[in-house]
Amino acid sequence: MHSNGLFLKDVAGFLGSYYTALAVMNAVAAYLLWKRKKEPGQALVWTVFAGVMMVLASLALSGSPGLVPALPAWLRGLVNRLSGPVLYTLGTTALLTILFVFRRFFVRPMVAWTILNGMLLLMGLSMADENFASIVMKPDNVPIVGLVFLLAFFTWVATKQAVVNDDRIAQGLPPMEKVNDEKVLVWPDLVYTELICMIAVSAFLLAWAIFLPAPLEEPASSVKTPNPSKAPWYFLGLQEMLVYFDPWYAGVVLPSLVIFGLMAMPYLDFNKKGNGYYSIAERKFSYLTFQFGFLELWITLIILGTFLRGPNWNFFGPFEYWSPYKVEVLNNVDLPQMFWVNLLDRPLPRAPQGASALTQVGTILLREAPGLILLGAYLLVLPPLLAVTVFRGFFARMGFIRYMIMANLMLLMLSLPLKMVLRWTMNLKYLVSIPEFSLNF
Amino acid sequence: MAEKKKMSVAEILAAARAEKGGGTSSGAVPPADAVAGPAAPQSPPADATGLSAGGPGSAESGAAPERPAKPVAKPAAGGRPSVAEIMAMARAKKGEAEAGTGAAPQKPSSPKPAAAAAKPAAAKPAAKPAAGAGPTKAAPRDTASILAAARSGAKPGPVTKAEAPEAVKTRLAESARPSPRPETGRATATHEPTTKTAALKTAPPMPTRSAKPAAKKGEDETDRRGFLSMAVGSFMAVGFTALSVTGGLFSLGLARFLFPNVLAEPPSRFKVGFKEGFPAGKVETKYVAQYGVWVVNSDVGGQQQIYALKTVCTHLGCTPNWLEAEQKFKCPCHGSGFYKDGVNFEGPAPRPLERYAIKIADDGQLEIDKSRGFQEELGQWNDPSSFVPV
Repeated sequence: MHSNGLFLKDVAGFLGSYYTALAVMNAVAAYLLWKRKKEPGQALVWTVFAGVMMVLASLALSGSPGLVPALPAWLRGLVNRLSGPVLYTLGTTALLTILFVFRRFFVRPMVAWTILNGMLLLMGLSMADENFASIVMKPDNVPIVGLVFLLAFFTWVATKQAVVNDDRIAQGLPPMEKVNDEKVLVWPDLVYTELICMIAVSAFLLAWAIFLPAPLEEPASSVKTPNPSKAPWYFLGLQEMLVYFDPWYAGVVLPSLVIFGLMAMPYLDFNKKGNGYYSIAERKFSYLTFQFGFLELWITLIILGTFLRGPNWNFFGPFEYWSPYKVEVLNNVDLPQMFWVNLLDRPLPRAPQGASALTQVGTILLREAPGLILLGAYLLVLPPLLAVTVFRGFFARMGFIRYMIMANLMLLMLSLPLKMVLRWTMNLKYLVSIPEFSLNF
Repeated sequence: MAEKKKMSVAEILAAARAEKGGGTSSGAVPPADAVAGPAAPQSPPADATGLSAGGPGSAESGAAPERPAKPVAKPAAGGRPSVAEIMAMARAKKGEAEAGTGAAPQKPSSPKPAAAAAKPAAAKPAAKPAAGAGPTKAAPRDTASILAAARSGAKPGPVTKAEAPEAVKTRLAESARPSPRPETGRATATHEPTTKTAALKTAPPMPTRSAKPAAKKGEDETDRRGFLSMAVGSFMAVGFTALSVTGGLFSLGLARFLFPNVLAEPPSRFKVGFKEGFPAGKVETKYVAQYGVWVVNSDVGGQQQIYALKTVCTHLGCTPNWLEAEQKFKCPCHGSGFYKDGVNFEGPAPRPLERYAIKIADDGQLEIDKSRGFQEELGQWNDPSSFVPV
């Protein structure tokens, strides 16, 4: 809410060209649609939309604070009040689920085009907010804005091909990749394409480096940490994981498991279908597991860490001012504390001063018993239980070792969202908390 | 052998040897036939009777039952003859022509039984001179000699006249194992197919060909190489010695950097002033930038203490900030929070902040010693040197 006329004057020029670009983009699309002579109505719609964008562009270029198109203040305030880690995570999950369930609708080109225009328009309107613009237009964060659009586009393309293939397979036809398997020569076709791409990307990076210089900060100091202190954008998912776990787990074990799990995938996969072509219906389990791990547990966490985490790693709404003095009341409690103190109303088991090492270890084990039992049940009892219920077919087809590897990888992957939910609902810090040996889970 | 797969040299040799082996066993007298091969055209003077008697006759009556040259009968039964069989046939004819006269007595066409009867005993001695005489005019492209050459490894490809004697010698030496007697010949002939396939499947041990030529060639070059290794090797030795010495010195030089002459670090023991400078409830942050220490005067467990907290988050080592309004230390990296006494209460930090040793020095000032740390979870905060009571 720190918008003022000065900022709007600065951003007006950019917004003017932004809306002009939107108008040109839609005018071209309308022209192409009209030339195809199939759907003249849609051509008309996009022509009108382009005209509206031109109007917005001229309003923005006027530069007067009252005229620059922006979201109303009450809406921004509402969004800020509502947004939080819980709503963000549940919202993205719901959004991705809807996109998946109704994929047949969303892969239509006109639907996708409408959504793209809506996203771009919403971003343009939000950009008139100073707090939003200061985060989104920060040179560090521009690539992540690009990533959101690029990732959406490529996911859409793959989903579209998968939907087409699924329809064809249902009709007994071969997938599109088998029909259009025209061979292309490496030389000159591929090499020339690569050369052109190389030149274009180099030119683009040069222009980017000139117009968006990297931000220089004060000299580094071991006793001064910038606030907020953020990892490189591609590690922001990791940084978000570290909020919920001990470093050894979220920083070492989970990333290694991600890599080893990806390497193990071809050996765990027993489904011979979907080889060499896009398909969702034929490999639903693999598709959903991968997309959950990638889109939900990696990409949305990167977006969360980039745009919504501010000073002191507090959560901030998209239009909220990043105040380092924002107070967030939190009091995280370990499971032993909950169990012994809150539930049984007894002090935590503590070894007497100067007790033997064995007594101390025994006391620690007794103190952590609830967490250890829960964890053991989760990792040791749950896989066999799943094998005889939900994953009965999987177990039969994969065999014991492959099934156990798959089940454990999956449970460890799910430990992240589970821990997040536990943190939000019960303020749980650690299930097992043994700071004596730096062992917390 | 008609596989499409390309055969390696070893396989070709093995196959050739197998064929030859078959041929040899089928031939009545392996040494004799090999020897006789090149010698055949030349031998008439050596054994005129045998030749004149058996030669034309035996060629016609190839299927005589007692004949040692069994395989001659094979083509008739098996249709198209294989190379091995053709060779065996040719050899059998020659063998008969010269040494196969052991069968002569039974032959009705034999004109002189007496002369023939003496033959078996004389077969071997007679063959030897023939061998000696053979090379002079022997056909150099003879299959047996080529194979023998290949086997001996003397020279791949056709054998020249000059090389033939040696080839024959090796051949003789090698085929000493199978008995030249007709009975054995017959016995092996019956087993021929099995031995053949066996030979194809399990390649026989490589001939010991390399021993002689290699040794011969090696002798010449040992000296040259020896000279070379003397001349060049010493240069290499000098080079590598110099390299390792340089590398060692370089590492030592690098290690020297670990012990700089001047240490710009603040001392680990330092004084922060008198107790009175730290009023109750105050977190002093002015020593953070230089020493990485908060000096706090606070109530801990009912006792008013002055203690020094280390400014390193116990989660991942960032430097938290003291938020006066909220009375807490808050880490900017992952949002861990600590109370004024250093105990963690929010975010992922698993344990309280650490304390440094603190005491009142001789001059009455507070002295902090960063070389000693005290951790709450290990019960070290009860240590009297971890705080100064007020």
